[in-house]
Amino acid sequence: MRSRTKGAIIAIVAVTAMLAIPSAQSLPGGIAGVQQAGCNCHGAVPSDTVVPSIEGLPESYNYSETYDITVSFKGGPSQEGNVNQGGFHLWASKGSLAVNDATAQLYNENEVGHTEAGNDQVSWTLTWTAPATDTNVDFVLHVNSVNGNADGAGGGTSGDMWNKLAITLGGPVEVLDEADPFVVLGVLIIVTATLLAFTLVFVFYRKDPEAFDWDNFAPWLADWLTTTDHKKIGTLYFIAGLFFLGVGGIMAMIIRIQLAVPGNDFLTQEQYNQFFTLHGTTMIFLAAMPMINGFANWMIPLQLGAADLALPRINAMSFWLQPFAALLIFTGVFSGHGADTGWTGYAPYSVSDGAHYGTTMWAAGQIMLVASSTLTGINFLTTMAVMRAPGMGWMQMPLFSWSILVANVMLFLSIPAFGVGLIQVYLDRVIGTAFYDIAAGGDPLLWSHLFWYFGHPEVYVVILPSFGIISEVLATSSRRSVFGYRSMVYALAGIGVVAFIVYGHHMFTSGMSPTLRFVTMLTTMLVAVPTGIKIFNWLMTMHGGSLVYRTHTLWALGFLITFTLGGISGMFFPSIAMDTHLHESYFVVAHFHYVLVGGTVFGFFAGIYYWWPKATGKMLSEKLGVLHFLTAFVSYNALFWPMHRLGVWGMTRRHHTYFVTTEEALGSLPMEAAGWNMFITVSGFIFFFSNFIMVFNMIVSSVRGEDAPDDPWGGWSFEWMTSSPPPDHTLYKLDDGSWGLPTLKDANEHIANEPGWLSSWFQRLMVEDEDKGEVTH
Amino acid sequence: MAEKTVFGMDLYWLNFYGLMILTLIEVLAVGANLDPVAESLGTEEKVITLWILTIIAIPKFIMIAAIFMHLYGDEDSGILTMTALFPAFFILIMVLFVGLTHPEAASSLPDWCRPGTYGL
Amino acid sequence: MSDADHHPSAWGPHDWSHGAPHNSWSPFILSMGVAIFLFSLAATFEWGEFQGWGNIPLIFVGLGVVSFSLLVWWRQDMSFGMHGEIFEPKSTGTPFQNIDIRKVAMWMFLMSEMMVFTALFSTYMRYRLGIPNCKTVFQSGEWVEGTAVTCFEPAGHLIASSWFHIAPGAINTFALIVSSFTIVQALRYAKKKDIGEDVRRRKVTRYLGTTWFLAIVFLTLKMVEWFLGFPLPEFLHEYNHGDSTIKSLYAEGFLINADNYQHHAFDTEYIEKHPEDYSIPEDSALYAMMQDGSHQGGKMFANIQVSATTFYVTTGTHGAHVLGGIVGLTYMTLKAARGGYTPDNAVSIEYFGLYWHFVDLVWVLVFPFFYLY
Repeated sequence: MRSRTKGAIIAIVAVTAMLAIPSAQSLPGGIAGVQQAGCNCHGAVPSDTVVPSIEGLPESYNYSETYDITVSFKGGPSQEGNVNQGGFHLWASKGSLAVNDATAQLYNENEVGHTEAGNDQVSWTLTWTAPATDTNVDFVLHVNSVNGNADGAGGGTSGDMWNKLAITLGGPVEVLDEADPFVVLGVLIIVTATLLAFTLVFVFYRKDPEAFDWDNFAPWLADWLTTTDHKKIGTLYFIAGLFFLGVGGIMAMIIRIQLAVPGNDFLTQEQYNQFFTLHGTTMIFLAAMPMINGFANWMIPLQLGAADLALPRINAMSFWLQPFAALLIFTGVFSGHGADTGWTGYAPYSVSDGAHYGTTMWAAGQIMLVASSTLTGINFLTTMAVMRAPGMGWMQMPLFSWSILVANVMLFLSIPAFGVGLIQVYLDRVIGTAFYDIAAGGDPLLWSHLFWYFGHPEVYVVILPSFGIISEVLATSSRRSVFGYRSMVYALAGIGVVAFIVYGHHMFTSGMSPTLRFVTMLTTMLVAVPTGIKIFNWLMTMHGGSLVYRTHTLWALGFLITFTLGGISGMFFPSIAMDTHLHESYFVVAHFHYVLVGGTVFGFFAGIYYWWPKATGKMLSEKLGVLHFLTAFVSYNALFWPMHRLGVWGMTRRHHTYFVTTEEALGSLPMEAAGWNMFITVSGFIFFFSNFIMVFNMIVSSVRGEDAPDDPWGGWSFEWMTSSPPPDHTLYKLDDGSWGLPTLKDANEHIANEPGWLSSWFQRLMVEDEDKGEVTH
Repeated sequence: MAEKTVFGMDLYWLNFYGLMILTLIEVLAVGANLDPVAESLGTEEKVITLWILTIIAIPKFIMIAAIFMHLYGDEDSGILTMTALFPAFFILIMVLFVGLTHPEAASSLPDWCRPGTYGL
Repeated sequence: MSDADHHPSAWGPHDWSHGAPHNSWSPFILSMGVAIFLFSLAATFEWGEFQGWGNIPLIFVGLGVVSFSLLVWWRQDMSFGMHGEIFEPKSTGTPFQNIDIRKVAMWMFLMSEMMVFTALFSTYMRYRLGIPNCKTVFQSGEWVEGTAVTCFEPAGHLIASSWFHIAPGAINTFALIVSSFTIVQALRYAKKKDIGEDVRRRKVTRYLGTTWFLAIVFLTLKMVEWFLGFPLPEFLHEYNHGDSTIKSLYAEGFLINADNYQHHAFDTEYIEKHPEDYSIPEDSALYAMMQDGSHQGGKMFANIQVSATTFYVTTGTHGAHVLGGIVGLTYMTLKAARGGYTPDNAVSIEYFGLYWHFVDLVWVLVFPFFYLY
């Protein structure tokens, strides 16, 4: 008991230390800069008797005008017959300072101080050139005053006093104090995390209000930190995934504030780069992937009729790599020097001096995520290959299991390429290898190849599980089996194979081999075939069934619309000529948000509403669910549909601002673009907040939801045979009323036992069944 | 499997001897002066060496995989061989697309699509 | 045993008669250690430059935390099969029926390992084929003494240049093959039912210990080849141009920051003095240019950073896999010495062996393409 507590404390201290160290090191001038501590060589406390002043500054400056300013002070340690003399240090946050004579010296354009020659003055003259933009400028002046040298007895150093003066100066147009977007983001993350921690404590309190003390809390917490149970790890994945979905959403909102009006400077270019980098990385790797793993962890063993995953401790390992990786990736946010390379991290920028130091940490965190995904892939493939219930052949697996199977095959065969690329970038940045050093002959295209060899299968990895969820939801809601099960499986497998030979379409404009460009153009067009098969199968499933409109059904229908639209816009890109025009424009942004939000996230929402009663044993409110769907669906389309138009007008992605004009000029957008952008921002905020309806729904359901029956929707795969929520060690209610592990007995049983020509050929390679012959090991 | 014999010799030992001999040939092939052979075939010594090394690497590979890794002779060997060969397609794609595509693409870009040239 | 004991401590040891562990601190701590290590390493070096001693302790904290988590993992696993408690679930689904789940998982893991090395080899191919070879550049005469040219200098050019340089790599090749053999021998004796427990324990320990020792030899020779070099006995000096030592790759200047690399094979003056070692082919451009005086000759300065990088990182990744094998072998040897392997759980050796043979297989490819060619 005590050792567990100790372990938890050690872990918390270590995590805190890891968070504190980067922030302490990363302040631009170090902590002990002169602005904060004053002239600390001359005593610790400022003195009121010294009165500093700056003359020559206007009330508000004009753009780029140069002002002559005089810095002076009065008073100080008074002693008969002596004149006070001393030195100064002036810092201006914006604009540039310059010196006029030898009494002052320039440290950099923001800082000046006295020289040896100016050490016995009471005033100094300087010039300051105002910045060219509207901003508030801070001046901080430090002066120190000493007794004059007339005092024979060491007067120059005795009785030394100092004081400081701070002035803020406005521009021609009055501006409000800027909010640092990183502070906003940091504060929101901390607030969210604190709320999460309170929720955690509250959940523990609700469990047993009588036993609410540390001695009970520590083992409860330790159990969650050390668990290898697939259901608990699934829940942990969901907590992590939803938390980072929120964080990524906050970043998206800050980006949208910046883009709401043309020429905005809420975010500087540098900050904007970090925001879209972290938005992409967070959403793909820290939100979508954990949520997929959450669904898979919860549902795969239940759907297969297995007790747990094949490798439970490896499963815990896969999960715990992710939060620590997230800490590394986010060190940049807390230090203000986050990765600014885009989620693609293209070389050579990502290995150049210009890229922020946080890029190293971004690569380090991603390496851990690669390790996590590899372990996940091994674990799920093994589970699905070996732990299917007796009677369940490959072709009896539920479609959600199939989608996870194909997704994991793609993931763990492609992610080593990304991992190797990341290790190359990490080593380049850390120990100075030369993989992407152009001067030494390094090839930046290699990174693009390695990245997209992984990156394209990766985008299918995040969409396929949604296909699986939609197949389950639509079949259950239509009250019939899914139309064309076999073609669905072959379509999934086809997508999985094609994914590896299409990645070149991300690199049409990169100067890649023309032959490869042509090949990937053709293969990319091929992707539409299996995807189209799936869409038409879903439509046919509904056509032959009788639809029950539940919240998850609505999300599935919404998915069909938005994903089809996203898929159609995707068909513009395989054509090299079209792609060259649309590349890096908002048309691309619109396309991938249509498939990733309208596809993946809508699928997740459908899955959450579908399986929530099974996982928690409580029903969600249908009214709130429908409200969530309606607001989110409408605002989502209002958010992303206009982006197609902006893209065709020529608005480029990854640029921190844009300008509109009435004239036809290169690189400018028509006047309407400003209005559309504001419309997008407003819709974005509505979409962001509409998702809190679901969070609210979850909280209400947990606190006072109705108890859920074992099979609330009339589903017939194995997960509905357990109780809601399933017991700690999963057991299923069998036909004879007892509890145990199930066997699949379905109408198509002969399919499993009578192999076709392909499987009979494979059968020769397989291990004999136990009943056919004794197997010795 | 462990007790299988070929020609009265233990399979593991036989495999071990075979591997040692093949490796010895490899090292000798690199050390030996193959210039006369290369000249008679009208090519460079390096090419000859590479061919010898590649040809020897294949049986070594198969010997380790089949016998030491039990991909031959066990009752589960068939399906596990299929498992081991599963990534072959993806390896081929990576070698073709990443390893062998136009390595000088970046440096041989035409001038008009290099950064800084926007003469529209 | 009472019901409460079915959930033993998450720190181990574990009672395997009740199935796999339900709780373990190891994953949490291991992840934390890896994060600390990657963070502190990046804080200590930047672009290959040492950033001060401040973060060195943190590197060791990271490694220490990782080691500690491995100890927790071992402590949970050490009891596996020790007292006849075997937890070896078998596959139920086609086409893998009745194969141990651990075996299938190991093969899945090897699939992803294949992709890792494919990515490294693809990198190597791209650079090897894309950057002109140093020898070709030298003979083309398109260089001037004093200005570095970018070219690819295969490590094989240094290593395969003499029997002495190739010695560590060649010995390593044999060491790995022998260790592959010793580990199957360990498996064979662990599986043997007709020998006494004590004989089995001694045989298995001895064979696993030999494997461990050979893995250590492998890494030691790697250090010799990369950084240390080795002295030669006196009677061999004459075969080594009179030098008393064989220089390491480090001492030869074959380094990841070698933007000014020189080799005597790329020095016309040296070549003229040692016609028995080297010659400039008479049909080469350099020969013609030097004949008509349009080329000054002298030393060629080469930027070979990419060649050194691909060599060190690929062979280093393989070395890291050997290191991982050593971690596993240390545990297995200790367990064998305590009599932990019986015919019932001998398959554990087989499944580690799969990984170990895979490392050997990769070396079968790395050795010719990085050391010899």
